[in-house]
Amino acid sequence: MHMADALLSPPVGLAIAVVTIGAIAYSVNKIKKDESFDEKKIPIMAVSGAFIFAAQMINFTIPGTGSSGHIGGGILLAALLGPFPALLTMAAVLIIQCLFFADGGLLALGANIFNMGVIVSFISYPLIFKPIASKGLSPKRITLATIAAVVTGLQLGAFSVVLETMASDITELPFHVFLLLMQPIHLAIGLTEGVVTAAVLCFIYSMRPEIMEGALTNKSIESKSLKKVIIALVIFTILLAAGFSLFASSFPDGLEWAIGNITGGSEIEKSGTVYNISEKIQEMFAFMPDYSLKTNPEQGTSLAGIIGGTLTLMLAGITGVVINVMKKKKVAKR
Amino acid sequence: MTMLSKATYGFHSLEKIAEGETIIHRLNPLTKTITTFLYVVLVVSFDRYSISGLLPFLFYPVVFMSLGEIPLKPLLSRLAIALPFCIFAGAANVIFDQETMLTLLGVPISYGLVSLVSITLKAGLTVIAVLILIATTKMPAISRQLIRLKVPTIFVLLISMIYRYISVALEETINMYMAYSLRSPRSKGIKIKDMGSFVGQLLLRSFDRGERVYFAMKCRGFSGDYKYVPTPEPPALEWLYMISFTALAVILRLVNIPDLISSII
Repeated sequence: MHMADALLSPPVGLAIAVVTIGAIAYSVNKIKKDESFDEKKIPIMAVSGAFIFAAQMINFTIPGTGSSGHIGGGILLAALLGPFPALLTMAAVLIIQCLFFADGGLLALGANIFNMGVIVSFISYPLIFKPIASKGLSPKRITLATIAAVVTGLQLGAFSVVLETMASDITELPFHVFLLLMQPIHLAIGLTEGVVTAAVLCFIYSMRPEIMEGALTNKSIESKSLKKVIIALVIFTILLAAGFSLFASSFPDGLEWAIGNITGGSEIEKSGTVYNISEKIQEMFAFMPDYSLKTNPEQGTSLAGIIGGTLTLMLAGITGVVINVMKKKKVAKR
Repeated sequence: MTMLSKATYGFHSLEKIAEGETIIHRLNPLTKTITTFLYVVLVVSFDRYSISGLLPFLFYPVVFMSLGEIPLKPLLSRLAIALPFCIFAGAANVIFDQETMLTLLGVPISYGLVSLVSITLKAGLTVIAVLILIATTKMPAISRQLIRLKVPTIFVLLISMIYRYISVALEETINMYMAYSLRSPRSKGIKIKDMGSFVGQLLLRSFDRGERVYFAMKCRGFSGDYKYVPTPEPPALEWLYMISFTALAVILRLVNIPDLISSII
């Protein structure tokens, strides 16, 4: 589920990053206002975060299939720590995974925290887990609530991955094919993950019921204000995405124009005003059109490009060798 | 199991590389983070049929990895994690986008194939960029910069503490996993019916450990703040480096060097 940088275009990546930063800031604010939260919880959050990291690597066997799965941990954290501390913990874990384990990219961090953290803490926990579980904790209710919440969380997350990849215009895969590939796989994953997460929560409930009760009775989220937040988030996302994509589609043109001016290139003559306006209008309606245009300059200069490319590669290789040789000489001199 | 011990090993070896004392290690972490982010954004901003324009961006990893004395091995294992889904998305292009883009020595090359190569190249470059950042920067230095950037204390505390406790959590998990597999021969992984108590037990232990850690921190005067020795502002030379890096990267993004070379020839 971790997305790599190469799957996102800068506008999409940045737009989601802004939304994610907003969600994190909101959570930090909520935690600060929460009177029942003391600094004692910070080490507990941190150690559970480290634990989630390790737990994601425990493979369990899925009976009858011979394959194995692992847990994601978003709902687990939300049920034990409360949704807002869970989001912060999950975000921190994802940042460390990105930096130290190459699981998900730097530009993609915002999208990954959104898909695996924000969706869980802002949608599947408060709208599904909490209403079912808060009617009286019992193993049955916990199981039902967990499976439902994990499945929705993963479905929404997978859907969001599809949307982000499509909006970035990375793949030729038709939208419905991509959806048909992603959603059923994540339904299967969600069901097994849900069963396992439910088993873990039931075990913890039987051993230390006060942990889950504490997280559930936390009044920091009320569904009324939450609805507003979610609606605001959605509107904000759409506005941002639209804004960034308009910026992206006009930005290269502006730069090309500037360069054309400087070098006196023929670039400008091709695009008359009428052509320009119609293009602009088209761009306003199509979502990120500039990225898939097949009129690529590389097409004409294919062979030349390959020669130039090979030379560039050779130059890069020589640079590396030279630096290494110089370094070794330096060491030898010492 | 292998995954757990591999993660532990990778974690420690990266930390060791980050202890180095090269020119790249000495750069201010904030400068490095900004330049890395810029590099990633620029690489990803190429459209999906670009290959030649991306090639000059190879200079960054070549120069920085040799200057920073970063070994190649961790890079390969990281690529193995990042590549599969990118190749999946790219391979779909090969199937769905078969229109011929150019003919090379009589062999037709489709748009889809070109975009597969482009995505793979982008994935490789972005992964290397993050590796270079992290292999030359120590975690505490990153946390200090985050505090200076006014990231909420609680979040910075969380990141640096999770980082600290990952090896502890991994070790504890490995121990329990070992104990489990010794008692259940011929089973691959943990049986699904045992997962509840296995993971639950681990979680409860971590909660208890978290409490003990808190008491220990409290004894040493912890009050919810992040205390650190202030670091000096980046010197003028660093600014110069940042500006020239940015300028160079933007030029490389806008001017297709391989095409330029071949047009000169």
